[in-house]
Amino acid sequence: MATSVNPADITPRQVANKSDKKALLQALRMTLGVQSAAIRHNTQTFNNNRYAAIARLPDYNELKDRARQIKENAIANLPELLRQLEASVRANGGHFYLAKTAADANQYIRDVLVRHEVKLVVKGKSITSEETKLNHALEAAGIRVAESDLAEFILQVADEQPSHIVAPALHYSRERITALFKRKFHTDLPLDTGEELTKFARDILREQFIAADAGISGANLIAADSGSIMLVESEGNIRMTTTLPPVHIAIAGIEKVVPSRKDFGTFIELLPRSGTGQPLTSYVSILHPPLKAPTFAAPGKEPAKTREFHMVLIDNGRSRMREDPVLHEALYCIRCSACLNSCANFETVGGHAFGGETYSGGIGGSWEAGTGTLMNARFSELCTACSRCVPNCPVRIDIPWLNENLRQRMNHAQGASPGKFLFGEMTGSAPQDSVAPLQKQFFGNYNNFGKWGTRFASLANASIHMPGARSMMQSVFGVDSRRSLPPFPKKTWEQLYREERDGKQSTLKPGLVMLADVFTNYGAPERGMAAIRVLRAIGLDVVLSPAMSDGRAAMSQGMIDTATREARAIAPMLRRYLDEGRKIVVLEPSSLAMLRRDFKHLLDDDDTQKRLAQNSFEPLEYLWQVAQEQQTNLAQKFPASKCPHGTRLFYHSHCQQRTCNSAAQTIEVLRAAGFDVVTSSVECCGMAGSFGYKREYYELSMAVGEDLFAQVRRADQEGGPRTLVASGISCHEQLLAGMGREVFHPAELLASTLA
Amino acid sequence: MHAPVQVQESLIEQFTDSAIKAVATVEVIDRTPAALRDAILHAVGDAKRILYAPPQELPLALFSDFAKDPRVVADANADELVHSAAGVTEAFAAVASTGSVCINVSYERTGMVSLLAPLQVAVVAAETIVPQPRDMFRADVLDGKGLARDFVFVTGPSATADMGPLVRGVHGPHKLHIIVLR
Repeated sequence: MATSVNPADITPRQVANKSDKKALLQALRMTLGVQSAAIRHNTQTFNNNRYAAIARLPDYNELKDRARQIKENAIANLPELLRQLEASVRANGGHFYLAKTAADANQYIRDVLVRHEVKLVVKGKSITSEETKLNHALEAAGIRVAESDLAEFILQVADEQPSHIVAPALHYSRERITALFKRKFHTDLPLDTGEELTKFARDILREQFIAADAGISGANLIAADSGSIMLVESEGNIRMTTTLPPVHIAIAGIEKVVPSRKDFGTFIELLPRSGTGQPLTSYVSILHPPLKAPTFAAPGKEPAKTREFHMVLIDNGRSRMREDPVLHEALYCIRCSACLNSCANFETVGGHAFGGETYSGGIGGSWEAGTGTLMNARFSELCTACSRCVPNCPVRIDIPWLNENLRQRMNHAQGASPGKFLFGEMTGSAPQDSVAPLQKQFFGNYNNFGKWGTRFASLANASIHMPGARSMMQSVFGVDSRRSLPPFPKKTWEQLYREERDGKQSTLKPGLVMLADVFTNYGAPERGMAAIRVLRAIGLDVVLSPAMSDGRAAMSQGMIDTATREARAIAPMLRRYLDEGRKIVVLEPSSLAMLRRDFKHLLDDDDTQKRLAQNSFEPLEYLWQVAQEQQTNLAQKFPASKCPHGTRLFYHSHCQQRTCNSAAQTIEVLRAAGFDVVTSSVECCGMAGSFGYKREYYELSMAVGEDLFAQVRRADQEGGPRTLVASGISCHEQLLAGMGREVFHPAELLASTLA
Repeated sequence: MHAPVQVQESLIEQFTDSAIKAVATVEVIDRTPAALRDAILHAVGDAKRILYAPPQELPLALFSDFAKDPRVVADANADELVHSAAGVTEAFAAVASTGSVCINVSYERTGMVSLLAPLQVAVVAAETIVPQPRDMFRADVLDGKGLARDFVFVTGPSATADMGPLVRGVHGPHKLHIIVLR
């Protein structure tokens, strides 16, 4: 890494703004060094709980469709809803203020508090008020702000920004909180358990709740028809904040507005489950303030006669986001944090690295860019587009697509140079993408490097291993010198296929075409040949398409114009096979995901896009389907006992394969063939295409991988080392690097059982 | 009449299971003043002072035996509100799938009484148990009260994981006892 600063000497505030890349690198160093263990424990607990909770929700998918629909309509009709909301709040007897900027919101709130001569205000958790930096504004006016959510309390004591949008202090272990409190409060009280720490903070805050003259909350959702707000919490601090003081101010972004309180019924089922994995959190308040209940006054104080309520909604860039063809989707976000908790990189470094001054995680880049400036979204580079957040988002936001677009915009913002342009010309970037940094163009144009590399394989391989080559790769292209790039094969998949086919013309039906994806074609042709043999073994006719790039590599680098050009070139070629009545089989899961999911963003021909999505399969997914239909005895066809690599397997499916629902079938096939299969449970291996090769992300990639390696070692403990199996090409490289032993594709194992 | 009663019985059962999973305690009792008094007093144990918010929906007479206990305070001052061991209120609805009780926070002091004491006791009529949280947002359920009121779904005691391990009992009650009236 570029810096030699001790991770313990970097403070989160120093690296909150990542518009300078150095801050991102320092933040990675800090979080990997100090925070990683607590973050991993807490996010993975949320993640596992969420999977369990949604498994018990039978209409999860219908609820998601409905939630998406409500949000799409709400954002489309936002100006009208805001007018309706204002009328509702006023009819309830509340005040309504629509703030254009963060400063406007802060000033309004300060004026309300000053008018009431408020000395102390208690705050429930509000990330929006972090965005506006409300505390600073109030403290500057002499008003004390007591953060009452325990996580926000910790952050206030530590002077740090949130590291997670739902659990803002989840980067703190119990031990670090003890040390922090001992240091800041100079106390001799025992603070060595969660209970003791909680009691300590509760006692301080109880006094504040009683003494406070006003309460500030956020709002998870707001209903235009009735001026209702939904508030989700577990500690009871938000109930205190909204029930005890006579003045209640709710601050939220305008995107929180939905048409009706009836809509809460959909979100109340999804939000807590998607967040912490609870069916409901301890308290979910549904209020249309001001409350009618009598007010509370501290002992000895005169209670206020009436309650006052102010709803403060902030725009602060959201109207601009609404007009943005891509970023408007971020406005559907309900801040549940599922995209954070299902992200392997986030699980490893949290929001102080994978986040900005306020927002964090996969969705955070769009929010930092939308409410701040584009380069504030720099941390969204940590999104590898592994896509594990996609099926877990309750409003179906395609978060990787947002981040790829941010990447493209950042590439453009960094400006062109003659060197970049020349390199782009040589390597095949679309002209608009030639502004991208060399590292991005290097990885984004893998197709062409593969073509040259295999054509001159011995030369290319020798040069990669020449003295100085690795440091050259590192300094020019940012390829980490600790990574070995896989050697180029002497023959491509296309060449091997042509040689084998010589003289044998297939007449078998039904027909398949295997896409010669560039990763397999130039990186692992023998796996491709194995897959063809396996599919033919159950009676399928298989032909190989010409090798063409599907745009994945370019897209992952934010080179969307290049990706679009490639997608629009490969789509008609594949469509011709569909017209012949063939189905498409794709070996590399990241390429399969292009056809299934990502082409919808790149192709302008909807019909072709839909046909490609519906008729493309992962090879073992297709094999399993056929075997079911034809009742094929897989144990006879591929007897595991004949496999020279053993029958005890450790299988890691590919992240995008799981998002495509094409992973479980591989496990079924292997088990049906008689293999003993243990599977990984990590979201991603950490290599994620080219991500782990990049010099600046090598440590993070290996730290993510360590989770997977530990699972392999645990599985190995009983009965000795298992044979490693992975479906993705970069997962192979990562497992090889971490475990130092051979890794197979499932198709290779099946092929090895054929006589 | 037979079928609806069965449905109700299974809802009570599901509610009880869910509430216990959410770390509340639940008992189902007969709807008489004596049974309610016994149940509440047993739940609050040797509490020196018991906050009580009279009900909005259930008959006041149902709480009459309980209210006679000398420790019960129905018009607590601020000091009593923040220094009592238990708070007893009605819940106007409950949710079977989550084990939640719904408390009206705009009715008199029901909100404060259900929030400030370490032990919360909620009394709910069995026929107001709805299957899922979403049902509270339907006009045809419980006369649309869920669309009209200021209320809170209470699911178990207050809790936090912010201090490292999961801790029950934070700003809100540390314990939740639910009494279902058959």
